[in-house]
Amino acid sequence: MENYLQYIYDSSIFILKGSILTVQLYFVTIVFSIPLGIILALMKISKYKFLKLSIGFYTWVFRGTPLLLQLFFTYYGLSIFGINLPPFTAAALTFVINYSAYLTEIYRAGIESIDKGQYEAAKALNMNYYQTMKRIILPQVVRRTIPPTCNEAINLVKDTALVVIIGMGDLLRSAKELFSRDFAVTPFIIAAVIYLLMTSVIVFFFKKIEVKYSIYE
Amino acid sequence: MKMIQANNLFKSFGQHTVLNDVSFEVNKGEVIAVIGPSGSGKSTLLRCLNGLEEIDSGIIAIESEHYADKNHGGKDKINLKEKKNIATKLGMVFQHINLFPHKTVLENVIEAPITVLKMKKNDAIPLGEALLEKVGLLDKKDFYPSKISGGQKQRVAIARALGMNPDIMLFDEPTSSLDPELVGEVQKVIADLVKEKMTMMIVTHEMRFAEEVADRIIFMDEGRIIADEKPEKIFYNPEHPRIMSFIENIAMRQLIDKD
Repeated sequence: MENYLQYIYDSSIFILKGSILTVQLYFVTIVFSIPLGIILALMKISKYKFLKLSIGFYTWVFRGTPLLLQLFFTYYGLSIFGINLPPFTAAALTFVINYSAYLTEIYRAGIESIDKGQYEAAKALNMNYYQTMKRIILPQVVRRTIPPTCNEAINLVKDTALVVIIGMGDLLRSAKELFSRDFAVTPFIIAAVIYLLMTSVIVFFFKKIEVKYSIYE
Repeated sequence: MKMIQANNLFKSFGQHTVLNDVSFEVNKGEVIAVIGPSGSGKSTLLRCLNGLEEIDSGIIAIESEHYADKNHGGKDKINLKEKKNIATKLGMVFQHINLFPHKTVLENVIEAPITVLKMKKNDAIPLGEALLEKVGLLDKKDFYPSKISGGQKQRVAIARALGMNPDIMLFDEPTSSLDPELVGEVQKVIADLVKEKMTMMIVTHEMRFAEEVADRIIFMDEGRIIADEKPEKIFYNPEHPRIMSFIENIAMRQLIDKD
C-alpha cells in the first residue's frame, strides 16, 4: 500500500512537470487571443468592406479546419518554405490564431447584441466612436460574453494536449510515458485529475468575474 | 433669438418619404409640442435635428449657425467637426430611455461631462448630484437602472441630458413606453423645465400635456407640417380636416378610457 502511494506521488510529480508546458501554452494563448479577438471583432463590424471580408475569410478558415491540421501546417508545412519554428513557438502561434478566430466571432455577436439605443444615447451625449465603444458598448459585451469565453477557456485546456503530435512533452505525454513504462492505468487517472483541477480553477475564476460584472442586472 | 431654424427639410427611407418639405422655427424659451398620427415623421424630425438621422436635403440652423446644409444627392456643406460643436447644444430624451445599464444612476449622469466635456470627476459629481436632486432622485444615485422604475429611469435620462448643459432639449415621446401611473412624474419634471424657460421640442401623444406646456403645436401628417399654431387653435378651433378627425379620435378614445 505504502509503495503504491509512493508510486502515485512520484508519478504525479513527473506528470506535473510535464504540465508546466501545458500551463505556459495556455497562458500565452489566453493573453494574446482575448484582446486580439476583441480587436478583430471591432474590425469585423467596421464599415470597411475589405476588412470585413478578410476577417470573415480568416474566421471561416480557422474555425472550419481542424486545429490539429493547423498545427501540422505551422510546424511541418512551413518548414518546406524554409520557415523552421521551434515547437513551442509553432504551437503558441497556431493556438493564438485559432482561438482568436473563435473569440472574434463570439465578441462580434456580443457587440451586435447590444441595443442600438445605447449607441444613440451615447451619440446624443456627443460621445465619439472610441468613447462609445470603450465606455458604453464593450463593458456590456464583456459581461455578456463571459459564458462563451469560459467555454473556450475550458476547451483550450484540453486542446493543449494536441502538441504531443509535434513532438512536445506535455502533461498527457508524460502520463503516456509512464503508462508505457509501467503498463498501469494510474498515470492516466492522475492526468485526468490534473486536467479536472485545471478546468475547475478556470470555471471558478470565470464565475467570480461573472458575479463581479452582474451586479447591474 | 432663433434657436432652431429648419428650411425645406426632406428625408426618405427608400421609397417612403418621411419628411416632405418641412420648415419651422423655434425661438428661445419656446416649448413646441409635435403631434400627429403614427408614422407622420415626428420622431424622424427630432432625430434629424440632433444628427441621429441625416436629412436628404434642406438647411438646419441651431442658434443661427448652420448645422446641416444639403442639396439632393449632394454632400453636406457643414463639416463633421462643426456639426459636433453645434450638436452639444442639443440634449435628447428617448422613448426607450436608453440608460447605460452597467453604470449607476449617478454614473449615467456624469459619464458624458467627464468623457466629452473633460470635466474632473470631483467637479462632475456635485453637478450630477444637483441634477438628480432636481429630478427628485438623489436618493437613488448609487442604484443601477435595473433597480428603479420606468418613470424614475426616464427622469434619470432627463438629468443625464441636462448634464451636458444643452440650450435646447428634444423629447421623443418621453412617456410612451411608461405605465400610465408613471407618466405624471416624468411630465412634472418636464413642466419644471418649462418654468425655467428651457427651449424644448416634445414629440408626444399626450394631448392634455401638450396643451398645458406648449407655446405652439406643430401638427404633422404624412411627412408635412400641416399646422403650426397656438394650442387653443389646434385643439378647439382646428381648420384642417385631418386635425379635426385626429382630435376627435383622441377625444373619443379618452371618453372610452374613462368608462
